[in-house]
Amino acid sequence: MNHGLGEFEQLVLLALIRLGTEAYGVAIRDEIEQQTGRSVTVGAVYTTLLRLEDKRLVATRLGDPTPQRGGRRKKYYRPLAAGRRELTASLNALRSMTRGLTPGLELP
Amino acid sequence: MSTDQDLRSVNPPWLALRLSSWRVPEPDREYLIGDLIESFHERRVRYGATSARRWFWRETLNLLTARWPETPNLPVDPPAEASMDSLLQSLRVALRSLGRAPALTALVVATLALGVGATTSVYSVARAALFAAPPYPRSDRLALVWERDKDGSESNLGYATFEDLSREERVFESTAAMSYWFPTLSDGSETTRIAGQRVTWRFFDVLGVKPMLGRGFMPEEDRLGADRVVVLGHNVWKSRFGSDSGIVGRDITVNGVAYRVEGVLPPAFESLLAPGTELWAPLAYDASLRWACRSCRHLRMVARLRPDANPVTAGQLLDATYGRLKGQFPNEYAGAGTVLTPVHEFVVRGTRQALIALLAAVGLVALIACFNAANLLLGRALRRESEFALRVALGASYRRLAALLLSEGLIIAIAAAAIGSALAVIGVDVVVRLAPMGVPRLDQVRVDSGALMFAAGLAMFTGLAASVLPALALLRGGLEGSIRGGARSLVGSGRHRLRGALVAAEVALAVMLVSGASLLFGSVSRLLAVDGGFATGNRLSMELDLSGPRFNDSGAVAETWRAALESVHAIPGVRSAALASQIPLGGNVDMYGLHLEDRAGANPAEDPYALRYAVTPRYLETMGIPLRSGRHITDDDRERAPPVVLLNEVAANRLFPGGNAIGRRLQVGGGDGPQRTVVGIVGNTLHRALDREREMQVYVPAVQWGEEGGMTLVVHSDVAASSAIPAVRRALRDVVPGVAISKVATLERLMDLSTADRRFALALFAGFAVVALVLAAAGLFGVLSATVVERAREIGVRTALGAQRGRILAMVVRQGMVLAGTGLAVGLFATWGSTRIISTLLFGVGASDPVVLAVVVTSLGAVALVASALPAWRASRVDPMIALRDS
Repeated sequence: MNHGLGEFEQLVLLALIRLGTEAYGVAIRDEIEQQTGRSVTVGAVYTTLLRLEDKRLVATRLGDPTPQRGGRRKKYYRPLAAGRRELTASLNALRSMTRGLTPGLELP
Repeated sequence: MSTDQDLRSVNPPWLALRLSSWRVPEPDREYLIGDLIESFHERRVRYGATSARRWFWRETLNLLTARWPETPNLPVDPPAEASMDSLLQSLRVALRSLGRAPALTALVVATLALGVGATTSVYSVARAALFAAPPYPRSDRLALVWERDKDGSESNLGYATFEDLSREERVFESTAAMSYWFPTLSDGSETTRIAGQRVTWRFFDVLGVKPMLGRGFMPEEDRLGADRVVVLGHNVWKSRFGSDSGIVGRDITVNGVAYRVEGVLPPAFESLLAPGTELWAPLAYDASLRWACRSCRHLRMVARLRPDANPVTAGQLLDATYGRLKGQFPNEYAGAGTVLTPVHEFVVRGTRQALIALLAAVGLVALIACFNAANLLLGRALRRESEFALRVALGASYRRLAALLLSEGLIIAIAAAAIGSALAVIGVDVVVRLAPMGVPRLDQVRVDSGALMFAAGLAMFTGLAASVLPALALLRGGLEGSIRGGARSLVGSGRHRLRGALVAAEVALAVMLVSGASLLFGSVSRLLAVDGGFATGNRLSMELDLSGPRFNDSGAVAETWRAALESVHAIPGVRSAALASQIPLGGNVDMYGLHLEDRAGANPAEDPYALRYAVTPRYLETMGIPLRSGRHITDDDRERAPPVVLLNEVAANRLFPGGNAIGRRLQVGGGDGPQRTVVGIVGNTLHRALDREREMQVYVPAVQWGEEGGMTLVVHSDVAASSAIPAVRRALRDVVPGVAISKVATLERLMDLSTADRRFALALFAGFAVVALVLAAAGLFGVLSATVVERAREIGVRTALGAQRGRILAMVVRQGMVLAGTGLAVGLFATWGSTRIISTLLFGVGASDPVVLAVVVTSLGAVALVASALPAWRASRVDPMIALRDS
């Protein structure tokens, strides 16, 4: 069952953990942009979230509509236990693979 | 202006908003678009409107090109208690569900509508012709009465027999005798021949029709000398007498003499016993007349049976009467008894088989359409399996799922019924225009409420059948596995076997239709290749009638015919012209017994019968009928010259097997005619129809036969026959004012008419076969495409392991061929079993005809190949990386 997580999936899951209860599309995108310095589109975030949802790694809840959003509701995401497990497994895999390599590649 | 500017800049660009809303699938559209708008406003505040707009567009383009993952994409179920009893609710959900697959829904509806439309068109024609009761009160009690010959065939009655049978009061309530009558009708400007009937006075009572104006005939009018009265049909009353309501009691000119109009029939009256009849006059026979004898069998008898009469005992009673008559007049009767033919039976028997064959054919089309729709819906259901599984997991009952599928079926059926009915209205028009004249009651055909009910019923049945089948397949398969197994469980081979079976069945049905069409095509082309025995190029024919007191003298008639021929001959471009009492394929049949001089002692009742043609000189040359030996009829064969006769080859060989026919003598018709010397033998012609046997034919000079007031003119011209018609008409009218000209046709047209009913059936069959092939190909294509998509991973693995593209291609094509081959085998088998249905339409070909077989196999093979080609090509292009990663 464990197919591993893609890199962007890892980034999104990490962003969810960082953001806590405020994790919705724009916030996730901003968090990744700020932390990684790369430009991320909302579409990419959503397709990834959908995939995580499909794999039952994240759960969602709906927020209230706000005027800045043209009366549309927010959809908040939080990682499920399975999501945290997958993420840990992926990061551990990275960690073990980098161990002992050139210092610049090694993860803490 | 400035507010516009502001509005534009404070809001995201509308086109980009539209595009991204359109691109993002439903459940996430709201949140994602909301995010985009929120970000847009943040950016607008921070970086300015232009930058924010540019950003919004970039996001939109990104969304448009993004690969959107497949999602379960669930429509939200309405709360359970609200929808449990509400059909409307479930229809609304179904409508939304169908709306998510608009192309497929349109395809299913179009397929079913095509089937419903075609079937309803043919059904409308067949219903009017076959199933509708004759439009007479209690028509079930109306029957025609015939003498039954020893071979079971029916023959007409002599007047004396009619009178004797009519006395059988235990059987009949009322009876009438009828004879065909083709009088001319003259008014100030023109004389035309119309179809009429001479009938005994109770005729209208028997049918149960009451004249709209005036009355029917009185017993005292049904007597020789008092019979110059007529009843008009509604059409002729309208077209020739301007719907004049004061016509009753006035005189009109019929056959050149005055007849008093007694009545006008209502518009609803249809003359089914003598189609096209517009004029009725009393028969005016009594048993003392020479032509009213028992063996003068030229009358038909129609009778209204008593309400308590039982057909079996009625037949026995009539047979008993016939037996008594036979004992009394042994020389007059040689038959075996009588026959009662219900009027309905009489009307439909000529075309029943052809129409039933067409109904069967169109039924096959409807069945194929239904299978095809079921196949498409089954494919969709398989793709929706995880949706259903999730619905079940979320608490939907199987009943709810079934209700959803049935509601979808219902919506499809309603749409198919509506479009199918519209198609039927067009289709009926086409069928009626194609149909030959022989189909009874064609003018009554229309898409009425009955036909619409039929269309609706058929659409409901096929629509629901097409959606129930997939539902059953799905539910029986069980859904529990799907939710756990995820997408991969969709490749259930059992379900594909069902789709495969549906496709094979479609192919089998298509084979039957293609076989039928090619059998008919073979028949028609063989028929067209039949040599009628006469030439048709640049030849035309028309029937001429002389009527009125001045033609009561046969000398005047002969003189008029001579002058008419002369004037036609004088037209530039006319090569030759002649008159004949009847011509091949012209619809008239005159048969006479032949009595050979050297067999003078033979019983006249055993005389062989031959078609008799009374012709002017040059008739055979004009018709291009070849002279085999002896000589033609010439101008020297005058009235008082020694009587001569020409035989065709069949007659010469049959009557004089020794081959020495010329110089022998025989009588044509009756015992008191002169002995005629055979002077020539000519080629055979097909008289009744191209698919009949060649019969004995004899030609006698018209002047030696006794002049007739009605003759058929044939003209052979240097120019196209149709362009000669006006000149011929003008020449005739100049010489013989008041001549009635009718049935003007080129001989090519007469040949065409002779094959009309088969070409009609062929046109419809061919149309159905094409539709069937297209539907079967679509079914095959759909199934193969679906398996290619679902086997993409397997194909990817095969390619990754080094399978050649050609092998992959062959694999898919082979799968298509196995399905098509199975259908082909079943279809051919079924064709052999069912050729009987169209047997009356066949001519010279059978179901095992190698050409037919070849046509069917090649066309099906080609269609199957084409349908497999694209899926196979797609399979061969599967990129192993993508296929494997996709899992």
